[in-house]
Amino acid sequence: MHFYLPIAEMSANIFLFLGMGTVVGFMSGLFGVGGGFLMTPLLILSGIPSAVAVGTQAAQIVASSVSGAIAQWQRGNVDLKLGAILIAGGLLGSVVGVHFVKWLRVIGQFDSAVALSYVTFLGIVGGMMLVESLNTIRKTHAGQQIAARQSGQHNWVHGLPLKMRFHRSKLYISAIPPLLIGILIGFLAAIMGVGGGFVMIPAMIYLLRVPTNVVVGTSLFQIVFVTAATTVLHAIQNQTVDIILALLLMIGGVIGAQFGVAAGARLKGEQLRFLLAAMVILVCLRMAWGLIATPGELYTIGLVFEDS
Amino acid sequence: MKISGLALRHRHRRMDRRAVQAFAVMHFYLLLPFFFVVAHAAPNHSALSNERVQADVSTRTVEVTSSFTGTEIVVFGAIENMRRKDGEANQYDVVVVVEGVGSPLIMRRKSNIGGLWINTRAVRFDAIPSYYAISSTRPLDEITTSHILNLHAIGFEHISMIPTEIEERRADKKAELEAFKSAIIRLKRKQGLYVQDRFGTVFVGTSLFRASINLPANVPVGPLTARVHLFREGILLDTFESRVRLEREGLGRIVYTFAHGFPLLYGIFTVFIAAGAGWAASTYFSRRAS
Repeated sequence: MHFYLPIAEMSANIFLFLGMGTVVGFMSGLFGVGGGFLMTPLLILSGIPSAVAVGTQAAQIVASSVSGAIAQWQRGNVDLKLGAILIAGGLLGSVVGVHFVKWLRVIGQFDSAVALSYVTFLGIVGGMMLVESLNTIRKTHAGQQIAARQSGQHNWVHGLPLKMRFHRSKLYISAIPPLLIGILIGFLAAIMGVGGGFVMIPAMIYLLRVPTNVVVGTSLFQIVFVTAATTVLHAIQNQTVDIILALLLMIGGVIGAQFGVAAGARLKGEQLRFLLAAMVILVCLRMAWGLIATPGELYTIGLVFEDS
Repeated sequence: MKISGLALRHRHRRMDRRAVQAFAVMHFYLLLPFFFVVAHAAPNHSALSNERVQADVSTRTVEVTSSFTGTEIVVFGAIENMRRKDGEANQYDVVVVVEGVGSPLIMRRKSNIGGLWINTRAVRFDAIPSYYAISSTRPLDEITTSHILNLHAIGFEHISMIPTEIEERRADKKAELEAFKSAIIRLKRKQGLYVQDRFGTVFVGTSLFRASINLPANVPVGPLTARVHLFREGILLDTFESRVRLEREGLGRIVYTFAHGFPLLYGIFTVFIAAGAGWAASTYFSRRAS
C-alpha cells in the first residue's frame, strides 16, 4: 500500500516505514536510546531526501522520548534545575544548528557534513562503549567486583566558576559544563536528526558525575524540549518536516519500543551496552564507507535556494 | 483558496526574479533561432504545405492525492489536409513531448579530497524541465536533423541547458559543461523523470495517432505542457500545444499548503501531534501492564 508523502514529494510504501519505525522502536526500547542515529541513516538509504529525513526525525524523537520522560518524571528521576540549564544550552545550539543546516544546503555540503558528523560522534561513542562493556564482561567473568562511583572524586569540571547546587543530583558544580553540553546536544540534534542521548548520557555520567538514575530522566526531559524546538525551527527555516512520514514512524516506533523493553529486561547491562556499541560502530562504518568508497555516480542534482 | 494563494504567490515571486535574469542572459540565444527559422523553415511551412495537426490530452487535470502512485495520460490527435501518395507508406512522423516547468537546479560533482568524496564543482542551470517525456513514431535521428531538434528542444540531448554564470559558457569549459549536461539527463532518467519511447506514438488508421505518456509517482507537481510536432520528410510542418495541470488534492494539499503557508503553526502542530502520540502510547501501555 502506497501513500504520497506531501513534503518529501514521493510515494512511499506505508509498510516499509511502519516496519522501519518498529525495528528502530524495538532497538530504542531495548537499549534505552532515542534511535535517531539509526533512523536518519535508514531514511536516507530508503530514498528520503536527507534534509527531510533530519527534519522529520526530530518530530519522531519528540514522540518516542515523551513517553519515557513521563515515566521518569513519575519516578522523580528528573533534575529540573539541571534540565533547565541543559535545555537553555540546547535551544541555543539548535538555533545555530538549524541555520548551519540551511547554510550547508546552500553550499551543497549538507550530505557530507551529516556523514562526517555521524562518523565522528558514533565512532568516538561506539568505541568508548565497546571498550568499557568488554572490560566489564571480562571482569565479571574473572569474578572481580566492579568499582562503583566514589563520592568525593574531583576533576577539572569542579574548578570552574558560577557554581550551583543541584539537589536532585546531589551535586555542587559550575553551570558552565552543563550549558556547553546542552549547546553541543542541540547542535547535533539539528544537524544529525538525533536526540543526542548517546552523547549526553556519557557526558553527564563521566564529566558531571550525575547519579545514573537521574541521568536518564534528565536527559530524556531535555531531549523532549530540544527536539520539539528543533522540529519547529526546521519547519520554519527549511520546510522539511513531513508530518505523514513522522506519523508512520511514530506508530511503528511506539509499538516496537514495548517489545524492546520486554526483550531488554532479559539481558545484562554490559551485554546490552556491548550490542549497542556494536550497532553504533556498524552505522559509523556504513557512513564512513559512503564517504571513502569511490561513488558510482559522481554527480548529484541539488535544489536552488532563494537566497543563494 | 486563500492558503493556496499564499503558496502560489511565494512560488511566483521566486520565478519572476529568475525569469528576468534568465531572459537577459538568454537574449542572444533566443534571437539566434529566428534567423534560421526565417531562412529555412518558413518557406516550407507556409508555401509548400497546409498540413496541420490537432491534438488533445486524455486528462487535463491530474490530481495528486494521497494514493497517487503515478498515472498514464494519452495524447491523441489527427493530421488535417493529409497528402495522399498512392502506394506509399505513411510519410508523416509525429513527435509528442510532455514537459514540466523549467526550474533552476544546481549540479554538483564529487572529487576525492584527502580520501573523502565530497562535492567540489557546482554548475547552476536555469530552467531545466523538471519532467520530460518524449514519444515518437520513429527514432528522432531518422525523423529530422539535429538542427531542427535543437531549435524546438525535441529530445533529451536537444533540451536547452544554459548555465547561469556566463563564465561557465566559456569555450575552454565546453567539455566540462557537456559532462554536466549529460549527467543531468542520466540522473533524471534514473529518477524516471526523463522518459523516451522511440516507437511509442502509433497511427490508428491513416490520420489518427495516439501516444501514452507515463507520469511517475515522483513527478514534480506543477503545470505540464504537451507539444505535438508533425513532420514530413524531415520538415517540421506544424506544432500543436496543450496543457495538463498537476494539482495536489486532499490531505497532501492541506499538509503542503499548511507547511509552506504557516510554517510556525505547522511546526507547533507537528510537535503537539508527536507529544500526544508519545503520551497516548505511554498511558495505554502502562495501563495494560499494570
